[in-house]
Amino acid sequence: MNEAIGPSMAVVMKDLRLAWRDRAGWASAGAFATIAVLVYSFAFDLATGDIRPLLPGVLWTTFLFAGIFAGGQSFARESEEGTFDALLLSPVSPTMVYLGKAAANIIAMLVIEFLQLGLATILFDTNLVSLELLVIVFLGTVGSVSLTTLLSTMSASMRGRAMLLPVMALPLLVPLLIGAVRATGASLNLEVGAAPWTLLLAVAALWSAALSVLLFPIAVER
Amino acid sequence: MSALTSTLQRVYGLWWIVLPPIVGSAVMAMIIGALVVAPREIIEGDVQRLLYIHFPSILAAYGAFGVVFVASLVVLWKRDLRWDAVARGAATVGVLFTGLTLATGALWGKPIWGVYWTWDARLTSTLVLFLIYAAYLLARSMADELDEQAARFAAVFAVLGALDIPLVMFSVTWWRTLHPQPIIMRGLERPAMPAEMLAVLLIAFLGIGALALWLGVLRTEAEWLAKRTATLRAKIDRHQGA
Repeated sequence: MNEAIGPSMAVVMKDLRLAWRDRAGWASAGAFATIAVLVYSFAFDLATGDIRPLLPGVLWTTFLFAGIFAGGQSFARESEEGTFDALLLSPVSPTMVYLGKAAANIIAMLVIEFLQLGLATILFDTNLVSLELLVIVFLGTVGSVSLTTLLSTMSASMRGRAMLLPVMALPLLVPLLIGAVRATGASLNLEVGAAPWTLLLAVAALWSAALSVLLFPIAVER
Repeated sequence: MSALTSTLQRVYGLWWIVLPPIVGSAVMAMIIGALVVAPREIIEGDVQRLLYIHFPSILAAYGAFGVVFVASLVVLWKRDLRWDAVARGAATVGVLFTGLTLATGALWGKPIWGVYWTWDARLTSTLVLFLIYAAYLLARSMADELDEQAARFAAVFAVLGALDIPLVMFSVTWWRTLHPQPIIMRGLERPAMPAEMLAVLLIAFLGIGALALWLGVLRTEAEWLAKRTATLRAKIDRHQGA
């Protein structure tokens, strides 16, 4: 068991250590998320009196964009320095490399998201720290970050990747976005209909995680 | 072997003789049929005539996206870049006809529903389909024709996109749907459409289908030629360098 997940853990620890030592990349993603929540809160407050119903949409657009922004950066450096080729050449299955990268990105993203939940609790005057909401955020993050990790590996070698990544990722993440926004709305007692939105979110998250794990070795095969 | 190849080439050459007249006459017949022959719909009026483009277009687009899916699997499996050209050609056609479906739908929606656009289930899933394959074309065009890695990435994305479609459709159907339910296949004993309308629709299927096929073949050939040109240019560069 330890043999099997050892390489993934090594990649996770390497990425988290790098993220910690060079905080600029993830700090800028966190700053981006913060400024997005602030601007949304400010602009919507100008437009409408009651901003609470808009909160799920604000949170999830922010999370998706910040995740894409940060995920794209995390691979840009690897492909520039040749680390990624070295990882693929090592006697470790590409799936393990992928799982390590995705797990590190998910952990870093969750930290940013929990900070945003705290900020939004203040700005939108709504208690956002509940177990139900944490589960929803976790599911949505696993689903979206696993897919953007795969796509950012692929787009890292293409020109204009910064623009390409959201254009590729967001249409694929529409089902996840629907499930996440509606489930978040349900946990805040907003009117969202009776469908089991958390189940939809879980299915969408499982879909993108499973397909990303399956397709990563095929995508990076040389 | 060479006899077989030359026979195949001759059959392929026939595309250029057979397809253009079929496409031209079928599309002309479709236009005349839709504007003149088909009766005026009693409730919706003349705007209903857009159906003769709207419905065959989305079927042509689905067909094209099916070709993209299969061709992308072959790219991943056989590593043959000619299939990458097929996938790109089919994706271009699919995006074109999905766009046509969305545009005719919006024009129809304004007088009938009172709005050009609404976040209805079927409209949303069609728009997502359009966005996925537009992203595919954009991603593929950002790398060189001969870049095999980029072709693999694009193929993986096309497979992801195709497998995303059922999930998209399922998730958006949980919203209330406005789109008219299909009435064409309701049963032959009690058809919901007059015979003339049905006949025009069949001609429209033929016309749009032939047009889609022809455009797909042209686009694929253009991609092939671009790849050959790039290969030759690389050879010349190597020769001059030596």
